[in-house]
Amino acid sequence: MTHPIIRFDHATFGFPGTVALEDISLSIPESEFVGVIGPNGSGKTTLCRAVLGLMAPVSGTLRVLDCACEELRCHHRALIGYLPQKGMLDRNFPVTVLEAVMMGRYGALGLFRRPSGKDRDIARQALTQVGMDHHRDSALGALSGGQQQRVFIARALAQQPRILLLDEPTTGLDLTAQHSVVELIEQLHHELKLTILMITHDINMIRSRVDRLVLLKTKLFAAGPPQDVLKPEILSQVYGKELVITDKDLIIVEDYHHHH
Amino acid sequence: MLELLAYDFMQRSLLAAALVGAVCSVIGVFVVLRGLAFAGAGTAHAAFAGVTLAYLLGLPPLSLAIVFGLATVWITGWVEEKGRMKLDVSIGILYTATMALAILFLGLMKTYNPEVYGYLFGSVLSVTTEELLTIGGLSIVVLGTILLLSKELYFIAFDQEMAAASGVPARQIFYLLLTLVALTVVIALKTVGAILVFAMILIPASTAYQLTHSLTQMTLYSMFIGIFCAVTGVLLSYAFDLPSGPSIVLLATSLFFLAICCSPKRLHRIQAE
Repeated sequence: MTHPIIRFDHATFGFPGTVALEDISLSIPESEFVGVIGPNGSGKTTLCRAVLGLMAPVSGTLRVLDCACEELRCHHRALIGYLPQKGMLDRNFPVTVLEAVMMGRYGALGLFRRPSGKDRDIARQALTQVGMDHHRDSALGALSGGQQQRVFIARALAQQPRILLLDEPTTGLDLTAQHSVVELIEQLHHELKLTILMITHDINMIRSRVDRLVLLKTKLFAAGPPQDVLKPEILSQVYGKELVITDKDLIIVEDYHHHH
Repeated sequence: MLELLAYDFMQRSLLAAALVGAVCSVIGVFVVLRGLAFAGAGTAHAAFAGVTLAYLLGLPPLSLAIVFGLATVWITGWVEEKGRMKLDVSIGILYTATMALAILFLGLMKTYNPEVYGYLFGSVLSVTTEELLTIGGLSIVVLGTILLLSKELYFIAFDQEMAAASGVPARQIFYLLLTLVALTVVIALKTVGAILVFAMILIPASTAYQLTHSLTQMTLYSMFIGIFCAVTGVLLSYAFDLPSGPSIVLLATSLFFLAICCSPKRLHRIQAE
């Protein structure tokens, strides 16, 4: 097995009085595509924030890029491309597509250094990889939801990351855009051999694309190849009565539809 | 009009106005985009409390204005960071508390001091050479810092958590931005006064916001509008014998409403509908 790029060892995360994630042990080798699923409030976003080094474990350890997550320095963080949940960003912020993608270079550049022509080339290349280079001078706010997600994926790619962390990249998009964004992520995984951690509610969309699924419900409930995790007896323990499995083997989580 | 420029006091006033216009409008871009408008208004009143205490103790007014201004922005930033209570509530408390302090210090002075009121309402026409040098020095510090760290400041204005996640020292940059806001308020205190200084920070940036989708362009437009309003406002105030602070701010406000009416963003939305 390849050396793990992310390694949780009995790690517990939370605030005084509340536990968001408990006793997580999980190793993610380089270039693996991992889908993270679980009901609302199961700790998916906490997992994301922890890998970003924005949260330290209260017990146990989390090592990211061979460094304790609470000690991640700026140069480590620059190697983790992050796509936050849609809606957490001001979509009308006055910024052009290229300006938004250039921000992906800032962490790696460091303080006081101006972006060079090379940084601009890297940003343009990232835009090309997501098929958005022809929109580089457009206002970000004028793009459709799916196009904006592509731009934010390009921003993460412009960091030239080793890990890509995607927090519900398809939520709030129409069905066509959802498919095209997931196809793009799959394509980037194959082309760039990135380690991808994708949090999602849409189990059906990613089940055939990921190497491994991680099922959370405060604890690590199951982790393994999709066919091993997506068993009715396992899912029903986590989702309870909210889970419906259709005769076409589609998994529908009622809770998700009620909340969105 | 040109003969006005022969007067020393007018040269000083116009230079002070141009500097204040430039600094306020550039920092204003980050204040508007990062959603710190109300925090800045509180800082202006705190700085005025510093001025009144300085007069009471016989100290240089700008020194205590800086101390009060910095204390207020840092407390504001700390409250936002810790999420102890809603930001507008905590600033509202600081805002009124520092204004109460200012009124208290004014009351303790016993005699009427017109110079103190100059800091409340602004009196750019009476800027001294010494004050101009202070304004110039602080302007270089603020504009120089913004120029050096503009990419980080833009990023935290866009999304502070994402900036932190991508390896930008976002928290430190946020406190630096608050510090620059406090320094800017102090720079502008004498020119436009504590009550109106925040208009100079907000209005040019908000006007520029209507006109462009680009961060770089927004900053340049804002600076141009800020300098234009400050200089033209001073000339109008002299020509028509009006108070300088309100002349500058009302001119800027008129441009803001004009920009809203002609905003390419707004017209584009109307066309789209």
